[in-house]
Amino acid sequence: MTWAPESEEIRRRRELARQQGGEAGLARQHAAGRLSIRERIDGLLDAGSFQEQGLATAVPDVDDDGHVREYVPANYVLGFGRINGRRVAVGGEDFTLKGGSPNPAGLRKSVYAEHMAMRYKVPLVRLLEGGGGSVRGSGKQGPSWGEPVFAEPRFKVIADAMASVPVVSAALGAVAGFPAGRLVASHFSVMTRDTAQVMTGGPALVERALGKPITKSELGGAAIHAKSGIVDNIADDEADAFRQIRRFLGYLPSHVDERAPREVCDDSPERMEQELLRAIPRESNKAYDARSILRMVMDEGSVFEMGAGFGKGQICALARLAGQPVGVLINNNRIYAGSMTAEAAQKYRRFVELCDVFHLPIVNFVDQPGFMIGLDAEKAGTIRFGMAAVSAAVQSVVPWAVVQIRKGFGVATAAHYAPDSYVLAWPSVESGALPLEGGVAVAFRKEIAAAEDPDAKRRELEDMMRARRNPYSRAESFSVHELIDPRETRPFLSQWVEWIQPLLEGLKGPVRFSIRP
Amino acid sequence: MARHQVESEVAGSVWKVEVAAGDAVAAGDVLMILESMKMEIPVESPVDGVVEALLVAPEDQVAEEQVLAVVVSG
Repeated sequence: MTWAPESEEIRRRRELARQQGGEAGLARQHAAGRLSIRERIDGLLDAGSFQEQGLATAVPDVDDDGHVREYVPANYVLGFGRINGRRVAVGGEDFTLKGGSPNPAGLRKSVYAEHMAMRYKVPLVRLLEGGGGSVRGSGKQGPSWGEPVFAEPRFKVIADAMASVPVVSAALGAVAGFPAGRLVASHFSVMTRDTAQVMTGGPALVERALGKPITKSELGGAAIHAKSGIVDNIADDEADAFRQIRRFLGYLPSHVDERAPREVCDDSPERMEQELLRAIPRESNKAYDARSILRMVMDEGSVFEMGAGFGKGQICALARLAGQPVGVLINNNRIYAGSMTAEAAQKYRRFVELCDVFHLPIVNFVDQPGFMIGLDAEKAGTIRFGMAAVSAAVQSVVPWAVVQIRKGFGVATAAHYAPDSYVLAWPSVESGALPLEGGVAVAFRKEIAAAEDPDAKRRELEDMMRARRNPYSRAESFSVHELIDPRETRPFLSQWVEWIQPLLEGLKGPVRFSIRP
Repeated sequence: MARHQVESEVAGSVWKVEVAAGDAVAAGDVLMILESMKMEIPVESPVDGVVEALLVAPEDQVAEEQVLAVVVSG
């Protein structure tokens, strides 16, 4: 007698567990324009690379003779796989079963996802669609047993994972409650434009609490969250979401004990774009296209912007320079001259911390007129978030290169320099406590008021101050490392990338942050 | 045919309008220039198409997300 009958039963149960919500459940999912969790995993990973964990997790209904009457698969699928050949952990709710609300077997696997990624030192990708817990409970019979008093808090591993491995989340359907919390506890999050909604509490809860009927899309559609900042990017469809996730992970190490993978670069480090010579208009009130500067300087086709719809005055992107993954920052002068709003400051701090955690050097193109001012800015608490951004920069541990391209005024400018930054300046640079326009009116208030023609006096003073400005003294006094022809930016930065290689080697391991304001 | 509403990304005022209703425009063409925080901010067409309507005039104050123009593509 062998163990063949049990082995056959093992295979049969695995097969049952793979059935998900059955044909009807899958048809409903497809009719709504969404993929099933297994199709999502296949769409994300390298072909054929998925290794499922918990092949036979399910909630069986067994009769008195021990025969399985019904077999409800776990509604969370988890496993390992590869993205561009590199190992990752991936998991997600099966919405075809109980709307993704966890059944006991599904819940255990979802809780294990972060543990698994940290244990095996691989990035975690969450493909989210579900509403979290239900007051109906997870299907257990009998009196409710709470967690033991000595159990570790459920959220600890979610927080810990953020300091250990890259964590990426995608909202691919309605995501509410706990799954929405998971979505934002990520280094990169993306939602589909037409098929996903993200809500802390769904429409039924909102109507009950606030008395206002509202639809899922009105409450948490892409139009809301492109601007709320809780998702970084919007994807055209699920395939686009998978492409963005694969791309994002390519800039990062698999865990904090590694360095980000440097690629062989076929774009010459010596390339000098002629257009950079005219990128900044000579007239200081003329705006320019900040993104085009990034495209001209960084490796061709390597710029991956994050959070374009939130804090729009500050552009944050991952990119490569001479093959080295870097974080890139540039002010967007078309949005309130690039001044630092509360939102821009939050985005900035989060991005600097991302680079710190994964040892990405930072290249920062500075055109900073200062913190945003005005009543709305005061109500938004701008200076608190601004000082958090400043703190993140001055306590950053990765190498920074700063390129002064135009303005650098006020306290906000301190957010653009880490200790020992490598500093380059373009001839278009201007800096000080306040911009001339406005600054002169404040500093020379008495002289201007006493003049016969105050306006003419103010203009005269502005012209005088403007004439005194010259870019050369920065280089002469070594208050920047180099004053450069803008076309030389890429060659200078590419040299710097070689110098910092030993520094990056020394940064492997977890980072420590203090509490920020 | 798709109608694209061109929204202002900033609060400010309209300085110059560079096109007229009925004009053909290419993606990236400047439709108008706003002034905000002492900066001249170009408003560009998001698509190749025809300007269907201009909803603001020089010296108008505009708010964030206010629709400035409609461009029809395709």
